[in-house]
Amino acid sequence: MAETKRKSRGEAKGKRGKPSKKQKKGNDTRERKGPRLPNALRKELERLNPVDEGFGSDEDQEEVYGRDLYEYEEELPEEESKKNRRYDPVENLEYQMPEEFEDENVSSDDDNDARNAGEDGVEDEEDDDGRQRTTRITGEAFEGKKKKKNNVVISEAYPESEYNPTRDMLEGEGPVSIGDLLDPLHGVSGYSKLRKRIHHLEKKSVPTPAPLPKADQEKLERKAAYEKSKEELQKWEPIIKRNREAPTIYFDDDMDLGFSTVGAIASEFEPRTEFEKKIASLVYDDQVMEAHQKDGSRLLELNKVSAEDEKDRHNRMAKMRSLLFRHEMKSKHIKKIKSKTYHRLLKKDRLKASSTQSQMDPEAAKELAMKQEYERAKERMTLRHKGSSKWTKRIKERGIDVQDEGTRTAIAEQQHLHALLTRKMNSMKDGSSSSSDDSSDEDDVDVYSVGSDQARASKLLEKAKEKTLNLLDEDDEVPNSGVLSLPFMVRGLKKRNEAAAEEAKLALQEYESWSNPLEHSNGADNAKVAPPSGRMVFNASKEAPESSNKTKSDNKIRSDNYYGNSDSEDDFEPKENVDIREDRSSDLQNNGGINPVLLHKDSKNHKDSLFKNFDDIVQDPGPKTTHEVSIFASGTWKKIKGGNNADANANKPTRPLESVVLNQNLQEPVKDLDEDSDADSEGQMVDGILTSDPKVESSYELPSQAEIIRQAFAADDVEDDFEKEKQEVLNEENPEPEKPVLLPGWGQWTHVQKKKGLPSWMLQEHESAKRMREETLKKRKDAHLKRVIISEKLDKKAEKLYTKSLPYPFTSKEVYEQSIRMPLGPEFNPATAVGALNRPEVMKKPGVIIKPIEFEEVNPYERIEEQTQSGKKQKKRNKSKSNSGKNGTKVKTKLKN
Amino acid sequence: MGVKQDDGSIMPTSEQEKISDELDIRVKKFLRGEKTNLEGLQDKKLKGQLAVREELFGKSAQAAAKAEKWLLPSEGGYLEAEGIEKTWRIKQESIACEVDILSARSQYDIVLPDLGPYTLDFTSSGRYMAAGGRKGHLAILDMKNMSLVKEIQVRETVRDVVFLHNELFFAAAQKKYPYIYNRDGTELHCLKEHGAVLRLQFLKNHFLLASINKSGQLRYQDVTMGGMVANYRTGLGRTDVMQVNPYNGVVALGHSLGTVSMWKPTSSAAILKRLCHKGPITAMAFHPNGHLMATAGKEKKIMLWDLRNLKDEPLQTLPGNADTLDFSQKGLLARSTSSFVQILRDSSGTQNYNNYMTHKIIKGYQVEKVLFRPYEDVLGIGHSMGWSSILIPGSGEPNFDSWVANPFETSKQRREREVHSLLDKLPPETIMLNPTKIGTVKPQRRKEKKTKEEKEADMEAAVEAVKGIEPKKKTKGRNKPSKRTKKKQEIVANAKRPFLEQQKKEEEQVARKKQKVIEQVELPTSLQRFSRKKSAT
Repeated sequence: MAETKRKSRGEAKGKRGKPSKKQKKGNDTRERKGPRLPNALRKELERLNPVDEGFGSDEDQEEVYGRDLYEYEEELPEEESKKNRRYDPVENLEYQMPEEFEDENVSSDDDNDARNAGEDGVEDEEDDDGRQRTTRITGEAFEGKKKKKNNVVISEAYPESEYNPTRDMLEGEGPVSIGDLLDPLHGVSGYSKLRKRIHHLEKKSVPTPAPLPKADQEKLERKAAYEKSKEELQKWEPIIKRNREAPTIYFDDDMDLGFSTVGAIASEFEPRTEFEKKIASLVYDDQVMEAHQKDGSRLLELNKVSAEDEKDRHNRMAKMRSLLFRHEMKSKHIKKIKSKTYHRLLKKDRLKASSTQSQMDPEAAKELAMKQEYERAKERMTLRHKGSSKWTKRIKERGIDVQDEGTRTAIAEQQHLHALLTRKMNSMKDGSSSSSDDSSDEDDVDVYSVGSDQARASKLLEKAKEKTLNLLDEDDEVPNSGVLSLPFMVRGLKKRNEAAAEEAKLALQEYESWSNPLEHSNGADNAKVAPPSGRMVFNASKEAPESSNKTKSDNKIRSDNYYGNSDSEDDFEPKENVDIREDRSSDLQNNGGINPVLLHKDSKNHKDSLFKNFDDIVQDPGPKTTHEVSIFASGTWKKIKGGNNADANANKPTRPLESVVLNQNLQEPVKDLDEDSDADSEGQMVDGILTSDPKVESSYELPSQAEIIRQAFAADDVEDDFEKEKQEVLNEENPEPEKPVLLPGWGQWTHVQKKKGLPSWMLQEHESAKRMREETLKKRKDAHLKRVIISEKLDKKAEKLYTKSLPYPFTSKEVYEQSIRMPLGPEFNPATAVGALNRPEVMKKPGVIIKPIEFEEVNPYERIEEQTQSGKKQKKRNKSKSNSGKNGTKVKTKLKN
Repeated sequence: MGVKQDDGSIMPTSEQEKISDELDIRVKKFLRGEKTNLEGLQDKKLKGQLAVREELFGKSAQAAAKAEKWLLPSEGGYLEAEGIEKTWRIKQESIACEVDILSARSQYDIVLPDLGPYTLDFTSSGRYMAAGGRKGHLAILDMKNMSLVKEIQVRETVRDVVFLHNELFFAAAQKKYPYIYNRDGTELHCLKEHGAVLRLQFLKNHFLLASINKSGQLRYQDVTMGGMVANYRTGLGRTDVMQVNPYNGVVALGHSLGTVSMWKPTSSAAILKRLCHKGPITAMAFHPNGHLMATAGKEKKIMLWDLRNLKDEPLQTLPGNADTLDFSQKGLLARSTSSFVQILRDSSGTQNYNNYMTHKIIKGYQVEKVLFRPYEDVLGIGHSMGWSSILIPGSGEPNFDSWVANPFETSKQRREREVHSLLDKLPPETIMLNPTKIGTVKPQRRKEKKTKEEKEADMEAAVEAVKGIEPKKKTKGRNKPSKRTKKKQEIVANAKRPFLEQQKKEEEQVARKKQKVIEQVELPTSLQRFSRKKSAT
């Protein structure tokens, strides 16, 4: 609409451009002419004395009129002077406002239409070419002009000239009336109609009032337009209202997003390429399709494979598999093979390790020696490397010089080995003690015999002694010349020697001390040389702390017990406390003596006996560990008893036994799940009561009367205490105002101050502060509660959990707080409501173009929710959490006895 | 829904009414408070929005109520006496005759005479139990199979055991320190900072391990990150009475002077102290809905307190001692002294507890702890000779919500739930007396910042005060009018200076903040060319 309007306006402007120029021209000429007759009079004049010369005549006249008014006279333009009639003569150059002239921007279409309809008939006759009437869209403005033209400017079909004189000239009459024009049409069909209309027009022709000023007119037009557009827009109101009030707006109502499943896409697939076509021909083979449709048996038939083929395939597969397997094995093996360098390094390492080991470890050394000995013995027996082998013999026959390098080295190696292995033992030892060869050999044997360690050690010691003695005996020869002969060097040497001698002596003493126990001890138990003497001591010492520890811990446990049972330390009876202390002290004293050992033994005995009993009783214990634990614990428990009661009752040890019995009896029924056995257990329980009774009484004493009274009165001032505490808290949170203090000499003379007392403003201030405090105290939550203190301290960390100010649309705190009372999550709402509660304001699918709003008839009074209900097909998920997992085997006991 | 309510032919009208009444009660419960009052609202748009919201809430509550009414598989029951029978005369044996095998299985005594007295703890699903013998015996048991999961002997005093978020971990308060063990008995942590702890409590939703030690220090430790969240000296002496309110996570301590103090990790002072008893407090328990607290004092009294509506007087005072107290899921209260166990029940629904059942164990046995097993009608009793388990009909919640606690949880579900619960972990500051206040408008602080006008007024007052001072009359050319005016101006400027400086500082702060904001909201490079260039500075 708007567009077309604009277009029309534009067109109108365009069209107006031309005529306005003309008009301007006309106006210019008119302006020059000064005052003139009104149009109507002029017309009349024209009619009465028509001008011969067609045009220019009235200009002349006007010139005459205006001569005396305007000095300047413009020359007539050439074309207007008509000197040689070069230009087409125009009959009526200037425009005259038509009678029923209306402004260009005539508003209502209907008016125009009506007028147009009225004029159309006329125009058809008058306008031969009728080119201005091509479209009806051409704006009101243009129409107005045209109208004027039609009515006033009588255009000629041909330019005016001597060959084509004007009608006026020809007929010598006034302007042509409509009647004149109509006359020739007399008798033509539609004539009467036309005439009627014209009559009608003529009758109606009332003088039109002067047009309104433009501004007013525009205003009116705008008003009308506003009314119109308002009407137009009002019909959207219900839709807009509905959308505004809707909690959610849906933009994905009926969107076809194309295929949603792979199946749907596949169903639309058409084979295009050759390959696809081939595949399709195979897949959509009639036979196959048919088989599919009917049942699987045909398919099987189609699928038939011959037995041979299958066998072949199988064989092939087996072959491939075995190949693969072999390959795998091979690669595994290969992977395991280590490089030469690795082995070399490994060997080196091993050698090094063994050498160091032999150095460090006597065991290893021994082993090594054994090995070497074995090798040698073997060599001596077999003489393998002597050169008596076939190979060496042959080589020797041929001559060693003839052989190549490798062989020669091999031979040499062999010989070397032989020499090495067959060399006598003495070659391995020190050359000095060659005399003791045999004995040493024997020694070796001895060394390796069982229990000869001691002998060896003693021998070693002896040797060491000898050596040291030798060293001591040996006198250092002092060199007579050289640096060493210098006196201070000699002195130094002496000193050193002395020190060495001392050391040697010390070493000797040590050897002695070592050798003594060796001599004393028996050969059987040599390995543990040092311990035996200390053994007894060590064990004893160990035992003592253990037992002491135990007793201590017992005491501690006991004390813990005591703490736990009592609510506060004050309430506990002092008697027991003292008892325990005494016990503890006595225990501590005992620890020093022999008693702990006895105690320990005692407990051990208990344990043993208990264990035996237990074994007798227990046939099939449940979890083993519990029993073990209980056994262990029973021991300690007993000990506690013993520790507590100084006079260790004789009947104490029996108790745990009974409890154990009880235990068994109680546990069995549980396993059996028998009602009868339950009853049995009851019986046992009674037994338990009977047995446990005396002990309980012994451990629990009724509090004395005094005790009870004390307890009762102990808490008497609790309320006062609490009140004080409350006051303290109040003072802390709302401190009391300071009392006004008089500063003597400040502000006034002291004697004046004394007389007057405190200044009034001070008192007032104090009063007001007091009042303030009281008010705040009254405002406290615990103001009316005597026995409650509610802290009013601000929790800064928790402040972030509150909203700082009311969120926008809310104006009252209550309403806001009410509105947030319901949780929205899926944990707190049924699945049917969660979606609606959390739906966003706008629902749309991503990638969907939102279409502009369309007009639809909406009942403005219908409720909104209906629309939301009907509009949506929300997939309500049925997995409601409250339902799930409720089929457990739950047992409820509802009893009616 | 299984039965159509609207159909009169299916159900008689009286029945229908009854059901609708019942539903109404449930709906009310699920609506969680009053509907928003829309009368006084001026804003039409808001009104409309809130109306829509309210409608949704109503629907949600309705659906939830219906689901609860019709879909829950089992219903809870109670012992009901006929004629002159009394429920508290009914013995466990007679109950055992009546119940099914599976329930009868949960009636047993485990006698472990040597390492007692035993303290107990159940996981939130009631599937696993931890037992701690004072002399160092720790055991984890699977209560469904009645099998021992793990048992260890720590060889030192164990004062308390508590499960952490699931059965995989538990903490034990031992002689010197509390320790955290896993299910296999491996020691994972030694919490040395806690010292010799007397009681342990675990806050499930916040993953905090709270402990009170011998010197009366309350500590909170985050078990996820391991950080010590809070450490406060209670200043009220040693206590081993400690209980956490399951509703809001507030830890309550009972003291020897008869006071109960309530604590949260973000405040160093007790948020609430109340004088409950004249004698020392021996035991304490909270109702699962968090509105009711039971305390027992040495002066032979048990008191029930309303926690929402604080008053000086208790709701109810019952005679008798209690060494240990516990509320069941359905609100039964168990108390125990020495070898006597009593269960109280609020039969009328008016928070008036009466005797419901009694049970005596062998006389010598000292009961250490009574604890209801969740989701079962079972009461666990830890005593000096092991532990026992008895049937208390109507104690446990009959229907479990597998999203909350699932007794039949598989390991996969457990893992899933662990992750979920870790993600849903609440920060320690959310512990407060009334957690429904979270999200509401911050309460007004007493000291507000001064407004601009007030500041200006202050400044003017200061200037006026200064102007009133008559300058000294000086001599030797110092009393020239020019000098005097200069001096006056100087005085005024001096008086103004502190205010102006203050103002400047504030402005700077604001500017800095703004700058920060601007820096943060930087346009993407593609759009920067469109932003208005700052005037060259």
